[in-house]
Amino acid sequence: MDPCEIEFIGENRIISIIPNFTYDKIYLICGEFGPFRAGLPLNVPLWLAMMLKQKQKCRIVPPDWMDIDVLENIKEEEKRSRFFTKMPNEHYMVEAKLILGAAAEDVPNSSEIKTIIKDIWDIRMSKLRTSMDALMKSGGGYGRLDHLTMMEINSVKPLLPAAMDNLLRIQMKTKKTAPTSSLNTSSFSQSGTSQHT
Amino acid sequence: MESNVHLDLSDEEEEITAETVLKTLQTAWQNERLAPEILPHHNDMVECMLGQIQHMERNINKLAKTDLRASIHKMELNRIKFVICNYLKTRLNKIEKYCIHILNEERLRLETSTNYLTPSEYKYAQDYLLNIENHIKSVILNKVPSNMQALEMNKIAEYPNLQTHVFLKANEMVNGVVLEDLTGEDEEIDLEEGSQHILQYKPIADLVKNGKVQLV
Repeated sequence: MDPCEIEFIGENRIISIIPNFTYDKIYLICGEFGPFRAGLPLNVPLWLAMMLKQKQKCRIVPPDWMDIDVLENIKEEEKRSRFFTKMPNEHYMVEAKLILGAAAEDVPNSSEIKTIIKDIWDIRMSKLRTSMDALMKSGGGYGRLDHLTMMEINSVKPLLPAAMDNLLRIQMKTKKTAPTSSLNTSSFSQSGTSQHT
Repeated sequence: MESNVHLDLSDEEEEITAETVLKTLQTAWQNERLAPEILPHHNDMVECMLGQIQHMERNINKLAKTDLRASIHKMELNRIKFVICNYLKTRLNKIEKYCIHILNEERLRLETSTNYLTPSEYKYAQDYLLNIENHIKSVILNKVPSNMQALEMNKIAEYPNLQTHVFLKANEMVNGVVLEDLTGEDEEIDLEEGSQHILQYKPIADLVKNGKVQLV
């Protein structure tokens, strides 16, 4: 999938905003939101928050985890652990990118937070590369990937499944027990000539 | 101006809410995008959502153009339309690519009414195959010696690679998924709720279809 499609899916997450206008409840297909009261926080989907922000109709309330102390802890934990730690949010990268991109002024210490989130991402990605390498070397056709977020999984999609497919193909070829036809490669053959003889 | 036009869905009499329909569609879209083969259709959900969209669009037209609510609703509708379009397009791409294979399988499934394609998708697949056949005939076969004109469509069929590896998340506890191992030792694993894995599509194909796991 395309990264912007992952972003699209992430935009369905609910976040908190403080509107600067007053409106009745709005009934959307994905649920009802509101009533909007100027100055009072309420929950809306991320895409709606972004839209209102762009129209300068609200302030974004930074999610709880978007805080230097919390993120520093996560970063330390991520460094210490051999495994992937659980992220505060299934779409932390999408949320961070959108909120810090469109509403950096609503988040205290936004530039530090940006750096820490980037660090966490980098640590996790390097961990992911190491584990992929180990997985391939062990010749396994199965891996467990708990706590990886969708965006992280998506970033290895062009590589890992294809590599595992090829590994399997090689294993099957060397095994010779499995019929090669089950490899499902498409073949275009015209049978006319061979039948003619 | 009608200020109290409620764009709500409360007049809907079905038990499932529009919200549930939307969630189901989103999951179906995601699975369809990530699965190598075509999955059972969700035509009822698509139809239901298209109905909702129409209903919503009529209501939006009653609102003033400058009304903030109108732009919010429009944005949501555009998002939903994107999901539906992309979902249907993905299915059509698969139908075109694996046309012969899908039609062969579908004929068997129709006998037991467990069809994966909607009637219009089925018709589309048949027309598509017919066009391909006519095209091959008119461009190549009619111009080669008659003893070479035989065309076996099944031999040019393309198959989805079910052994490809996919990422998945378990929606509920699934016990004893058997992973075939080439060394002859089959491995059995359990998928705990919320856990994520990468493995071959084939052993979990049925779990995707009955919603026990979700491709990611």
